[in-house]
This record gives sequence, structure tokens and C-alpha cells, in this order.
Amino acid sequence: MIGFTSPYFWYSTRVTGFVALILLTVVLVMGILISTRVGGRRIGRFEINEIHRALSMTAMIFVGIHIVATVVDTYVPTGWISALIPFTSPYKSLDISIGTVAFDLMLAVWLTSLLKERIEPRVWRAVHWASYASFVAAATHAFVIGTDHRTHWGLAVLAGCVAVVALATVWRILGRPTRAAGRTALSPLQGPSKGAR
Amino acid sequence: MRRTVSFRLVVDPIRCDGFGHCLELAPELVTLDEWGYPILHSEPFPQSDRELLRSAHLAVRGCPRQALSLQKITNVQER
Repeated sequence: MIGFTSPYFWYSTRVTGFVALILLTVVLVMGILISTRVGGRRIGRFEINEIHRALSMTAMIFVGIHIVATVVDTYVPTGWISALIPFTSPYKSLDISIGTVAFDLMLAVWLTSLLKERIEPRVWRAVHWASYASFVAAATHAFVIGTDHRTHWGLAVLAGCVAVVALATVWRILGRPTRAAGRTALSPLQGPSKGAR
Repeated sequence: MRRTVSFRLVVDPIRCDGFGHCLELAPELVTLDEWGYPILHSEPFPQSDRELLRSAHLAVRGCPRQALSLQKITNVQER
């Protein structure tokens, strides 16, 4: 392999990792907002869905740059295979692999969503649950290998992302049911009868 | 002989979970029952109605449960 290194790859890896984590946080929280039927008055429910989709695309682009900048830079040896297969990186094998697992799960969620119209909804939904695991892996990856979490602001951003996702998840589990029991109302957008709630 | 094409938005009630996105995306074609589940207008609309066709496509694409589909109805009239 030809030696190819520049501090700009290193900066790119760090900044895209950070932005990707923040974007994944927002995308995951918006997914929770969709499933808990938030919206309908000041913001449309479909709008939250659209932003969720658009931001997940943006997140994938940042993750893509994050991986390319890391692999292309030969300052530390990683290799293209380690982007997809865990435990193949010569450098910090475990720490990189947690990121690899996060990316693999993300890819599964992303690809099934791109093919959503051709996929059985149950399958799409089952795969979509992997988003939580992907986020946990991504945040862990940031914590174990990220350079900037050693700074106060870096740690604050990472802790903030984890806290926001944790709160939203607890809220989803405890606060708002996500499936209607039979034909019972579950925060309907609006019904014909005024008193119906 | 004359061929006319029209469309109708249909819902799979098993898949539907009453998210209500279809009402926001295609209000011309959807009303909700009192539990928030959609009642779709059974009257087909003609292919020439691009506005309605666009709304219907948006609703199909926007449904979080893939419960909506666009039914194409082809009528052949002999005269």
C-alpha cells in the first residue's frame, strides 16, 4: 500500500465522526417521535417522517466520509475490509470493530429502508430495531477510540447524545404506547367527533 | 372502443396502525374514523387528475406501515 497521509484526513475523521453521532442522535429521536405519534398540529407527522428520512441520508454521507478519511490515511493502518468486517483492522482492532458493527447495522437499516416498497413491512420493521444497537455501538466506538472525548466539550457532546437517546427511549417505553390495542384509539390525528379523545 | 384509466387509494387494514400520515398527505382522499383509522374515498378518480394522483402517491410513500396502495382501474367502454 502506498503511504498516503495528511493531518487533514485526521481532522476529517474526527469532525465527521462527531457530526455523524449528533445526526444519528437526531435521526433516532425523530424515529421515536414518529412511532409515538408526535405532531399533527404545529408540525405535521409526515414532516417529521420526511426530516427523519432526509437526515438519515445526511448521516450516512457523514459516516461514509468518516470511514473513507480513516481508511485512506495510512498514518494508522486500518484497511477497507475493516469498514465492513470486524476484527480485521491491525490498528486498535476492538475499538475500530465496535464502529464496524455500528456501520453494518446502520447499512442494514438504511438498505432495507431504501428498498422499503419491495420488502415485507414486518421484515423492514424487525431490521429497523437494529437502530438502537447501532447507536449504542456508535457511541461506544466514539468513547473508546474518539480523541476529542478527552476534552470537556467533546465528552459533553457525547454524553448529551447518549442522554437524549436514553431519555427518548425511556419515554417511548413508559410514556407513550406505540401500538394500538385492537381498534382502541392511540392519539388519533383527528376524529370526526369533537369529543373523541 | 374507449379505454379509461382511473385510480383508487386502498388501505390494508391489517397493516394500518392509525398513524394518520395519509390524512396529512392526501386530505382529498382520506377521512378518519373516530379512532384515527382512515376511511378512503371509494370513488375512483380519473388519471387526468394529476393533483389527486400526486397526493395519492405521497400518501403511499409516506405511510409508516406500508399499508396504502394505489389501485389502477381500467375501463373499456364499447360504443
